[in-house]
Amino acid sequence: MAETERVRLVLPLAPHAELLPAWAIEDLGRRVGFSRDTLEEVKLAVVEACLNALEYGGGNVQVEITGFTGARPRLEVVVEDGGPGFDPGTVPAPRLEAKLHAKRKRGWGLELIRHLMDDVVIRSRPGCTRIEMTRFQEGR
Amino acid sequence: MTVETFELKVVRQDGTLAVMEIAGYINNEAGEAVAVRARELLAAGHRKLLLDLRATRIINSIGISLLLEVLEAILEVSGTLAFCSLSPSIAKTFQIMGLAQYARIFDDCASARTALSSQV
Repeated sequence: MAETERVRLVLPLAPHAELLPAWAIEDLGRRVGFSRDTLEEVKLAVVEACLNALEYGGGNVQVEITGFTGARPRLEVVVEDGGPGFDPGTVPAPRLEAKLHAKRKRGWGLELIRHLMDDVVIRSRPGCTRIEMTRFQEGR
Repeated sequence: MTVETFELKVVRQDGTLAVMEIAGYINNEAGEAVAVRARELLAAGHRKLLLDLRATRIINSIGISLLLEVLEAILEVSGTLAFCSLSPSIAKTFQIMGLAQYARIFDDCASARTALSSQV
């Protein structure tokens, strides 16, 4: 039977707040059996999700990290904010060639999250945006 | 993970090649510091910049966007931006972005310096 451990955080509006979930990811991930390299990919993805939430989320960002052992060991991370929301379908995938000639070179966050995690679900409406991310220990 | 202190050092300036060692979390502030130093090196005639990231384990997309400004400035003078000693997660991030099409990526600093020094 699978065991779960869960950590919930409310991020402060403070420098480097986006890094705070990384400690919990490190701890839970190791217990689930993740390698160091895989955990660093998860951390990068979660940092991006937290940055977006802190920037657009209206100051109320919550993060829930759950580690699952058992048949399919995995980490699930949910980042939720209370911002105005957005339609993820309208966010274009960034292209480096275009970015190099553009004034605004940002916009990589969602692309990185989608590639670094195995499953990503974004639910967004005015007042609540949730990014649900899963990374399996042995890949999808 | 600790909030690693960011450090930037220019460790070598040989002809057109300059090597920067970057340690710690590359976020907006660190990325800006790298961009400022890179512009100074470019203005001084160093058209080949090697960023040694052996002591960097995490970078965010804002820091990445500032590295793209460096890349754009270097490409404008037909120079070369190179990276070495990337952690696997940062290497994967650069691969997702397609950065290898525009910047050179080396496993270690010694091979990077050898290759860049012989490059015209």
